[in-house]
Amino acid sequence: MANKKKENPESFPWLGRKLLWVDKPGSPLKLVWILAIVCILLGLADFTYNKYGHFSFENVPAFYGIFGFIAFSCVIFGAKALRFLIKRPENFYSPNVVDAEEYPPEELEKVSHDDA
Amino acid sequence: MMMPDQFPPAFVFFVGAIALLLAPQGHARSALTLIIPIIAASILWNMEPGIYDRVEFLGITLELTRVDKLSTVFGLIFCLAAFLGNLFAWHVKDTIQQVAALLYAGSAIGAVFAGDLVTLFIYWEGTAIASVFLIWARRTEGAYHTGLRYLIIQIGSGVILLAGIVLLYRETGSLAFEKMTLGTLATWLIFLAFGIKCAFPLLHNWLQDSYPAATVTGTVILSAFTTKLAVYALARGFPGTELLIYIGAVMTVFPVFFAEIENDLRRVLAYSLNNQLGFMVVGVGIGTEMSLNGTASHAFAHILYKALLFMSVGAVLFRTGTSKASELGGLYRTMPLTTVFCLVGAASISAFPLFSGFVTKSLVLDATAENHYLIVWFMLVFASAGVLSHSGIKIPFFTFFAHDSGKRPKEAPTHMLLAMGATAFLCIFIGVFPEPLYSILPYDVEYHPYTTSHVVGQLQLLLFALLAFCFLMRTGIHPPEIRAINLDSDWIYRRLLPSWISAISVAINAIWSKNLGFWTRKVDALIVRLHKSHGPEGRIAQVWPTGSMVLWIAVLLGATLLVNFV
Amino acid sequence: MASDATHAAMSLHDHLPLLQVVVPMLAAPVCGIIGSRRLSWPLAFAASLTASIISVFLLLDTLDGSIISYHIGGWAPPLGIEYRIDAANAFVLFLVSIISSVVLLYARTYVGEVISASKHVLFYACYLLCLSGLLGVAATGDAFNTFVFLEISSLSTYVLIALGAERDKRALTSAFDYLVMGTIGATFFVIGIGFLYMATGTLNMVDISERIADMPDNRTVRAAFAFIVVGMGLKVAIYPLHLWLPGAYTHAPSVVTAFLAATSTKVAVYVLLRFMFSVFQPGFVFETYTLEFIILPFAILAMFAASIVAAFQTNLKRLLAYSSIAQIGYMLLGISMISKTGLTATVIHLFNHGITKGTLFMAVGAYVLQTGNSFFDRLEGLGKSMPWTSAAFVVGGLSLIGVPGTAGFISKWVLVQAALEKGWWVVALLIVASSLLAVIYVWKAVEVLYMRELPEGSTHVEAPLSLLVPMWMLAIASIYFGIDTSLTLSAAQTAAENLFLGL
Repeated sequence: MANKKKENPESFPWLGRKLLWVDKPGSPLKLVWILAIVCILLGLADFTYNKYGHFSFENVPAFYGIFGFIAFSCVIFGAKALRFLIKRPENFYSPNVVDAEEYPPEELEKVSHDDA
Repeated sequence: MMMPDQFPPAFVFFVGAIALLLAPQGHARSALTLIIPIIAASILWNMEPGIYDRVEFLGITLELTRVDKLSTVFGLIFCLAAFLGNLFAWHVKDTIQQVAALLYAGSAIGAVFAGDLVTLFIYWEGTAIASVFLIWARRTEGAYHTGLRYLIIQIGSGVILLAGIVLLYRETGSLAFEKMTLGTLATWLIFLAFGIKCAFPLLHNWLQDSYPAATVTGTVILSAFTTKLAVYALARGFPGTELLIYIGAVMTVFPVFFAEIENDLRRVLAYSLNNQLGFMVVGVGIGTEMSLNGTASHAFAHILYKALLFMSVGAVLFRTGTSKASELGGLYRTMPLTTVFCLVGAASISAFPLFSGFVTKSLVLDATAENHYLIVWFMLVFASAGVLSHSGIKIPFFTFFAHDSGKRPKEAPTHMLLAMGATAFLCIFIGVFPEPLYSILPYDVEYHPYTTSHVVGQLQLLLFALLAFCFLMRTGIHPPEIRAINLDSDWIYRRLLPSWISAISVAINAIWSKNLGFWTRKVDALIVRLHKSHGPEGRIAQVWPTGSMVLWIAVLLGATLLVNFV
Repeated sequence: MASDATHAAMSLHDHLPLLQVVVPMLAAPVCGIIGSRRLSWPLAFAASLTASIISVFLLLDTLDGSIISYHIGGWAPPLGIEYRIDAANAFVLFLVSIISSVVLLYARTYVGEVISASKHVLFYACYLLCLSGLLGVAATGDAFNTFVFLEISSLSTYVLIALGAERDKRALTSAFDYLVMGTIGATFFVIGIGFLYMATGTLNMVDISERIADMPDNRTVRAAFAFIVVGMGLKVAIYPLHLWLPGAYTHAPSVVTAFLAATSTKVAVYVLLRFMFSVFQPGFVFETYTLEFIILPFAILAMFAASIVAAFQTNLKRLLAYSSIAQIGYMLLGISMISKTGLTATVIHLFNHGITKGTLFMAVGAYVLQTGNSFFDRLEGLGKSMPWTSAAFVVGGLSLIGVPGTAGFISKWVLVQAALEKGWWVVALLIVASSLLAVIYVWKAVEVLYMRELPEGSTHVEAPLSLLVPMWMLAIASIYFGIDTSLTLSAAQTAAENLFLGL
């Protein structure tokens, strides 16, 4: 970000420091691999027990997994298409909506971590 | 009026609201807002099934308190939601918000226990009027206009309900709030009124419009009551109405797409709320014992995890001043507890095993499958994957992870953490030990959510979807978060109709002024003739009404004589 | 008929119907003759209070449905003038005299501030005359006497309105407008009575009613009916004949407006009821037609058109004036139903709207006193600096809308019931829909009072207690009568029954 002033991660809360791992180079890829392996194991798990779905196609191995993957992709592509159609600038309905307004600051307690 | 034989739980809130005004501002008030729901819940818990508090009013009998298992479970979760919401709002010093929250919760609880339609109507309007103050309390111009739109629609729902009630009373002579069958105009009107409050497709815009406009704490309160009251009303009035199955199914699917591209996270949650309501509506539509249990339990769990999500986004808004995904990111560093609570909420709404959504949503899904609604079932499973996309991933990921926005807000204040922690605990508790929740459901149904195929199937669905997310994210296909709004069907009444109306009114104005000019000249001439003897005319504006009035008298007398003599 | 009832041992109690009218009527010249600015208020208040007490007695006497017939000077009708008190006019007498007393409480400070000292005596004398005129109209059982009292009240009303000229010159033209129109209305009315006299040879209402019962085809009688309805319709401010009302209400001193709005149109509605149901019979075909084709459509038109006009006003007082016209629509609607429930709705709305509008105009009066006028831009943010006045206004506003728990709800409820009873459910829906318009215009005022910021440097303070107390008396009454309806509902029902029987 623009304000790259020196930051001391040691001041973060304990849990926050631990979570910093996810932003280390390579970590996201590791997570994806772990997820992929878990998914494969789950898919294989379908062969180890007797499925009893209400519909016959539920018994196809990894049916839910495949359905989930496709459904999610459909959502994303559908949403992209939808955005193409209905996206409008933030102040489209102004001034009758809150979207283009600042939240009134007196209601908030905007305290930054360093101030504390 | 006779003494109530059972103190209505709703009155606890109303008395409490008055007490609140008398209490000194500060912690005493905040504490009072917590005690009131506890008292109400304890009264409610000890009520035996039956009908109490019959009040004679203008020749009709109102039944203020009708206790059965369906109303009790909704009453309890409303008390719980009021407690958690008020805990989250401990810091609020705004009397209007505190009173409005109490009156709103009280009205919702009153409506749930209403034994007759008139009482239901009164509380129905009560929720509308009390809740709008949670939006206006933001005190900006946008919030004012949004609140007005919200109020008009909510009151409109009440007026339609009243019309339906009146017609029904004429048809059947009964005001009891019991199961109805669609068919007559009366029942359709009541159905429509419920549908507006339940945010049926195309009647849904008020929800996405107003919830993001309320205050930080107001949205948490708002999310709990109005729509779930409507679900209760449907479950009470129209169980087993097949139309509801299809309405509910559409409701689960279409908000998914809108939520995905919405930038304001509170509006994302509003779309997601709409989608979750769909599951409940499907449950009502199927109308079997199992599916109605599913509706009740899902409403129970949903209120909790939805409140939790609104709380976590609210805490972020409270600390950073924005709830827009495009402005946020990387907040886990300094708000780790909020992050964890948000993840719990996300896991619950996505129905991960061991979280509350899993043990409640599966009741509805299984009921759909058991009754062989294949297409509806597909839509619901599709929507389940869709829920993951916006509530399960988008909310926590773009707020607390993703690219670093550079914002380093302080962790949420203690009372907010407490509220979120308690809610998160309940979400997990229900997920791990569903039996206590099952035991208070309206019907005794044996159900075991944790079967191997069920758990594996659900995990497959969710994790493969997650994998798809990773894939799309890394390939850059996933839509980025940008500052923009998206049109919804409310564009019709916010842009299209106003533009038509203004065009029409310009035309009418032109015709009218021409016409008026013509007639004014005629009338003026007439008056000048009639009043020549009255000496110098003053300003014509002053003579005009007198003269035209005389004309009117003549017209009216003529008309009356005509009617009399014909 | 108890015409031979002993003249010998009449107690004071037996003379109440006469005293009801005569006390304020005599107080008026006394007030003028004494000419003391200090004494005029106590005198007026004492007279009005006496009238109130008498009206309570009369109401209690007639609540069981009995009728008091009083012969002035012992001259039996049709030669003498008869005062006839039943539940309907006892209820109206009660409303008028109670409102008058409360308004007088309010007037003490208000008149002192707004009207110059030299005119105080004139004000109170005219006020008493107006009061006695209104009471007389309600009490009398003689058609011509009605006209006389109507003129007494009208003439004094013109003066009272014109007194607003000290602050607002337009009061003069408004008063003049009202004078012209009111006189036309009264003339029509008296022409109608003349026709009746021509046809029947009597002026006593009971006699007229008996004699025209068998001549429904008589053209003179029919013309009389048309003239009376239109003439009185002007006083009632039936929708297209309302043009005098907004100006008169807006520019008169608020204390006068509060009194007139709560009483004068109500008395006119009563006269209309009396002539339509006691003198003429609803059984007459021409009357049914008039009600159905003239009164009903104009009532509904009033409910909507006047409400819409009200919603566009920028002057609070004018807004309330238009709202009055709309509310009169409800009363006429109740009449046009020609049913017992409909009449009950009219009578109860007459009362409930009287106390509601009294509250509202008193609140507006307080605003005018503190800020100079009642335009919305002057009222911004006054909810904060004048909390008690504004709270009373909100109470009145809620009652005007007909929110449950207020008096206004009861009348609308009965009206909706009456409509449903007739099977007019479209009309019932229209009643509900027009209430939504009331929400709009009341909300407009509330928004200005509470949602806008107080202008910089504003120094307005809360109205003095002497204004707040009477204002809140009526505000509390409009809540009380929304919860405990035993008095109002039973009085209205008895009145409706009597009227419906044509008594």
